[in-house]
Amino acid sequence: MKILTADWEKPESWKLATYGKYKALAKALKMQPQEIVDEVVKSNLRGRGGAGFPTGMKWNFVRKETSFPKYLVVNADEGEPGTFKDREILLRSPHMFVEGLIIGCFAVDCHLTYVYCRGEFRETAMKRLQDAVDEAADAGYIGKNILRSKFDIEVHVVYGAGAYICGEETALLESLEGRKGYPRLKPPFPANAGGGLFKQPTAVNNVETLANLPYIVTMGGDAFSNVGLVPKNGGTRLYAVSGHVKKPGVYEAPMGISFRKLLDDYCGGMREGSTLKAIIPGGSSSAVMTAEEADWASDFDTLKAKKTMAGSGGVVYLDQSVNMAHALANVMRFYAHESCGQCTPCREGTAWLSRLLDKIVEGKGEKQDVDNVHQIARQMEMKTICALADGAAMPAKSYIEKFRADFDALVRG
Amino acid sequence: MIALGTTAGSAPSPFTAEQQQRFDAGLEEAIAKYPPERRKAALLAALHLAQDELGWLPEAAMAYVGTRLSVPAVRVREVATFYTMYRLKPVGRHHLGVCNSISCWAMGAEKIIEHCAEKLGIRPGETTRDGKFSLEEVACLASCGTAPAVLVNNFRFVENVTPQSLDKLIEDLK
Repeated sequence: MKILTADWEKPESWKLATYGKYKALAKALKMQPQEIVDEVVKSNLRGRGGAGFPTGMKWNFVRKETSFPKYLVVNADEGEPGTFKDREILLRSPHMFVEGLIIGCFAVDCHLTYVYCRGEFRETAMKRLQDAVDEAADAGYIGKNILRSKFDIEVHVVYGAGAYICGEETALLESLEGRKGYPRLKPPFPANAGGGLFKQPTAVNNVETLANLPYIVTMGGDAFSNVGLVPKNGGTRLYAVSGHVKKPGVYEAPMGISFRKLLDDYCGGMREGSTLKAIIPGGSSSAVMTAEEADWASDFDTLKAKKTMAGSGGVVYLDQSVNMAHALANVMRFYAHESCGQCTPCREGTAWLSRLLDKIVEGKGEKQDVDNVHQIARQMEMKTICALADGAAMPAKSYIEKFRADFDALVRG
Repeated sequence: MIALGTTAGSAPSPFTAEQQQRFDAGLEEAIAKYPPERRKAALLAALHLAQDELGWLPEAAMAYVGTRLSVPAVRVREVATFYTMYRLKPVGRHHLGVCNSISCWAMGAEKIIEHCAEKLGIRPGETTRDGKFSLEEVACLASCGTAPAVLVNNFRFVENVTPQSLDKLIEDLK
């Protein structure tokens, strides 16, 4: 089943001529905005950035607000380690995304929208996107009174300057407003007055989430929902697979496919000489899985029940050559570097964990250090403004709980 | 040394006439993306534009950007020091950012960094004496399926890097 990747193999798949007319947009503009949101609710489309929040519900929050203007802001600040699928959408099918974006704006009554790309994309994925936006404007899909619908829409592409934290939606809004990316205390949430862009009600959506809109409008919410393998998890998902597999890459599969099937049927299995040891299911912030857990379904609800998360869809398969203490030390250096420093448990916690783990992998650690890592990680959870600390604690706890022998092999006592 | 006060100053431009023209055009475009009363939001873009011209962000550039957007210099500095793509000191003409996040790490990024350091005779964070190359370890570049990945001068992606392909890249850049 191909929704998002249908055009990817076509020559010049990023051109409007290849993509064709924005037929779904034409249909959407003849519907009532609330009808579109109702279809999205039915579709069980859930945010593909990481949280898996129901998109239709988020849009209804924005619609209920009485403060204008309202904004839709796109999070194209892809940076969760292991994740590289939004980049592929922007490079290979930018028009599917742009069409979805305009439909989304119409649905939440937004007339000015921003796509916030990570800065490093400026000369590559962002350029493709800007070209697509320009093509769409020339074709009359962006601007005043598009397709004679009386709907006006202005689309701007902007870019950041290198900060993982700006993938957090309120940090992204701060950055978009020209400030450092400090996450905001919630409530008010971005969808509510006082919490969004320039304090106005704002829907913040991921690139992949919006790229699904043309299909949902064309085929209906039920059709999209039925593509998913698990209730309340509609559609396909772009799984960005990396690590020790034969064919790493971005694969579109029904939402909820098992990690074993994803590995064997899409990625050609593990590479020559590799045996599966561990799976990072949804970006480096997710709790790790063992090889024995590869049969788990990859949808948001199953993985939440298993105390990990589907996250961003960045799946990393690791083989027997990896010592998981070394892997965790690497992951923790990332979080220590990327913690914005606003909240003490995160700023101090990630740095402390990183120091302890470096000590352990250098062979200078004691058994007590491993216990301390676990203990500190538990103390960091649910104590900060945003989820970065939780995203550091989850791997710290799970790597130790599931691969304790790898740690013990490196320490004294 | 330019004083970094809490009110917007009136710092002189650090640009040549030609640089000024490009900077002005870029800034106008960046400001136009926001509602008129929100022009300060163009700060990140303005800093990028200044760095495009100068290769890094000397304090004179930060102060000037603040002047243009009516942002106090201390606020400009706060932003410039928060984001990793902004250079607070000069870097090499070719800046190599080697990703060492989990997927690149699993595919041998540490060997690539080591190889780079040996080849160039510098450690991450340093610049070669002739000013041609600088090296940095960077966070996930969203190129995990083509790991290990290297970012040249902030915007150019080089993927599936091996010690051999790295040697060639460095030769080509020379």
